[in-house]
Amino acid sequence: MATPLTEYVTLVSNDGFEFKVQRSSAILSGAIKRMLDPNNGFTEARTNRCVFENLNGVVLEKVCEYFYYNEKHKDAKDVPDMEIPPELCLELLMAADYLNV
Amino acid sequence: MSNRNRNLNRIRGPHSALTDFLAANNISAGQIRDDYQRRLQQAQQREEQERIANGETATVKEEDEEMVEAEDEIVAESSTAARARGRRATDDAAAAKKKAQEEKAIAKIKKSKEFAKRKAAKKLGDDDDENDDYNDEDDDFLAREMYKKAKAMPGQLDNCEICNKRFTVTPYSKTGPDGGLLCTPCGKNITKDDKSAKKPQKKPAGRKRRKLESDKLDGLASRGPKTLQQLCIEKVVTHHDELDELGDLPQPVLERLSEIFTKKRVMNSQTLPLFLRPDLDAVIIHDAAYLETEDYQQIFAVIPHIENIVLKNACQFKDENISYIVEKANNLKHLKLYAANLVSEEGWIQLIKSRGAQLESLKLQWLDQPFSDIVVFQLSVFCKNLTRLKFKLCRSLTEVAINALAEMCQLEHLSLQATADISSPCLINLIKSIGPNLRTLSLEDFSFADDEVLNQIHESCTELRKLRFTNNDNCTDAAYATLFTNWPNPPLRFVDFNSTRDIDNSNPHGPADAVGLADKGLKALMAHSGAKLETVDLASCRHISKNALHDVFDGVKQYPELREVNLSFMQNVDQLAIVGIFKSSPALKKLIAFGCFNVEDVVVPAGIVLIGIPRAQDAIEQVGEGWVSVENALGAMVQAAA
Repeated sequence: MATPLTEYVTLVSNDGFEFKVQRSSAILSGAIKRMLDPNNGFTEARTNRCVFENLNGVVLEKVCEYFYYNEKHKDAKDVPDMEIPPELCLELLMAADYLNV
Repeated sequence: MSNRNRNLNRIRGPHSALTDFLAANNISAGQIRDDYQRRLQQAQQREEQERIANGETATVKEEDEEMVEAEDEIVAESSTAARARGRRATDDAAAAKKKAQEEKAIAKIKKSKEFAKRKAAKKLGDDDDENDDYNDEDDDFLAREMYKKAKAMPGQLDNCEICNKRFTVTPYSKTGPDGGLLCTPCGKNITKDDKSAKKPQKKPAGRKRRKLESDKLDGLASRGPKTLQQLCIEKVVTHHDELDELGDLPQPVLERLSEIFTKKRVMNSQTLPLFLRPDLDAVIIHDAAYLETEDYQQIFAVIPHIENIVLKNACQFKDENISYIVEKANNLKHLKLYAANLVSEEGWIQLIKSRGAQLESLKLQWLDQPFSDIVVFQLSVFCKNLTRLKFKLCRSLTEVAINALAEMCQLEHLSLQATADISSPCLINLIKSIGPNLRTLSLEDFSFADDEVLNQIHESCTELRKLRFTNNDNCTDAAYATLFTNWPNPPLRFVDFNSTRDIDNSNPHGPADAVGLADKGLKALMAHSGAKLETVDLASCRHISKNALHDVFDGVKQYPELREVNLSFMQNVDQLAIVGIFKSSPALKKLIAFGCFNVEDVVVPAGIVLIGIPRAQDAIEQVGEGWVSVENALGAMVQAAA
C-alpha cells in the first residue's frame, strides 16, 4: 500500500447521498477510522469510500456536520453545543453509537 | 401626585355614595372630565389643522385659476368661496367616519401642502438616482405613511385593525402589522407570536458558566466539544415528554439515558415505559423515587427474563413487588435495591428463600427495621452463589449479622458500612473466615476497629484489588505500615483511607506516635502498591507530614497507573507536593484538593483537572491548557515564585 492517503474521503448514505469530508475529520469516528485504515485491508480503505446501509442522508449529513464542528472546536474551552433538531436526535443517537463518536 | 396632595389639603363637604365609591376605587370624576375635554380639544385641533391645510390648497389652485381667467375676478372669487364652503361640508362628513374611509383621507393628504413639501424633499433626496420613475405609486406610499401617523391618542376610541372592534386607546395599545392600533386581546396575540419567534434566546453567561463548572466537577468533558452521543442524549432528555419510544437503542446507551433522566428528575410513571423492552435483561434506575408500586410490577411484566435490577430510592417497593419477583423473575442474578423500606421482614425472607440460590450480587442500602439480622442469617444459608455483597446503612444489622456473613466463604466482594457498634474481634473473625477469597474489601465507619483488624487483613487477604477502610481513629500509623510491609497481596488498584486520623480538639496535631494513616503508612502503601495503583483517597488523613508527601511524590518515583488522587483537608499539602504528584503520575487525570490552604498559584498541565484549590475570584477547578506540558507548568510556577 504505497499510495498516499487522499485528503478527502466519501461517505455514502443508504439513499444515495454522498458526502466528501476531510479524512482528518472523519476518522474521529472509531468505526470509520478502522474502515479506512489501510492496515486492515477493507475495501473502504482502497476506494476511500464508506457506504452506510443503515444511515440515511439526513442523519449522515448531521454526522458530517458534527465532524467539522468537532474539528473546529477541538481545543477550545466552553464549546457551544451543536444544534440538533429534536426529531432527528434518536436516529442520530443510534448513528453516533454505531459510529462511535 | 399633585392631584392627591390637592385632595388632601382641601376641606371636603358631605359626599354622595357614588363619590365615596369612586374615591375608594381611585377613580376621580374630575380627571375623567379633564381627559374627555382634552381629547375633545385635540380632535378639534386636528380637524382645524386639516381644514387649514385643505383651505390653503384651495387658495393655491385659485391663484392658478386667476392666471388663466383674470378678467372674471368677482365671479371667480365668489365661486371659490362657494367651493371652499362645499369642501368644508364634505370635510366634516369625512371627519365623522374618517377611519372607515381611508381612501378618501389619503386622497386628501395628497392634496395637502405638507404632502407637497415632503414630496419635494423626497425628490431632492432621490436626485442622485434616476428620479424619473417617481410615479403615482410613490405618491400613494408617501400619502399612506402620512395617514398612518394620524393615530388615535390615548383615551380616544378607535377600531381595532385586526378584529375591527371598537376599543379605548391606551398608551400600551400595540401597533398592528399595517400600522394601525390593536385592541387588548389582539395585541396580546401579536406579542405572543413575537415571543415564540424570538424563542432561541441566549441564556445569561453566568448560568452557562455555572453549568460548565458543574459538568467539570461531574467529570464530563473538561475540554473540547462533547461527543455526539452526549449531545444527542441531552437533546432526548429535553424532549422526554414528546417521546413515544426509544427504539432499539443498545443497553449501554439506554443506561446512560436513564442516568440523565434521573438526574433531570423526569424518571416517572410516564417515562419509565421507554426503558422497558422485552429483549432487555436489565433495568437500571438510579433514582426511582417517583415510581409507584404498579410501575415496579410493570418492569417484571414487560421484561420476564430480567437479570439485573437497579432501583435506588425505591420508596414504593412493597411486599407485592417481592412476590412478583418470586413469581416471575426466574433469571434474576443481580439485585440492587436502595431505601425499599415498605418491604417487611417476611418479604425479605420470602425473596431470599426463593431467589437466593440464583443471586450473584446483592446490594442493599438505607434499610430500616424489617431488614434484620434474621434476614442476613437466611441470606447466608440460602445465597450460596452470592459473590458480591453490599450492606450500607442498614441500621438494624448488628454483630449477629456480621457473624452470619463470616459463613459465606464464596464472597469475593464485600462492602459494609456500619451503623451499629461492631467490635474488633467480630470483624477479625469475619476477615479470617472470608478474607482469603476477597477481591474487594470495603469497611466504612467501623470506628471500633483497631490495629488487630489491619493485622488480620495482612494475614488473611492475599487477593485484594480494592481496599477501603475509612473513618477510624483507633488504628495507628504503625499498623498501616505493618499492613503494607511484606504483604503477599499483589499491588492494590484502589485505596481509600479517608478520615483515618486522631480526633482530639485539644491536641490537633495528634499524639507523637501518629494515629491514622500517616508518614510510615503512606510510604509503605506507595512502596507496596505504587506500581498498579489507580485511585487513592487520602482525604482528611491530616497527620501525613509535608516531608512524607515530598518523599513519596518526589518526581523521580513513578506511579504509572495513578489517575485520581484526593488530598482534601490535608493541612500539609503544599505547592511542592502538588507539583511532585504531577511529575510522579504521568497518567493523572484528576486531583482533588479541597481545603488545602497552603497551595496557591498552581499552573495545571494539560489533561489534568485540579479541583478545589481556590484562586481568588476564579473557578474552583482548574483545567490544564493544551499548550502546558508538565515541564512548562513547572517553569511557569518557578517564574511566578521568583
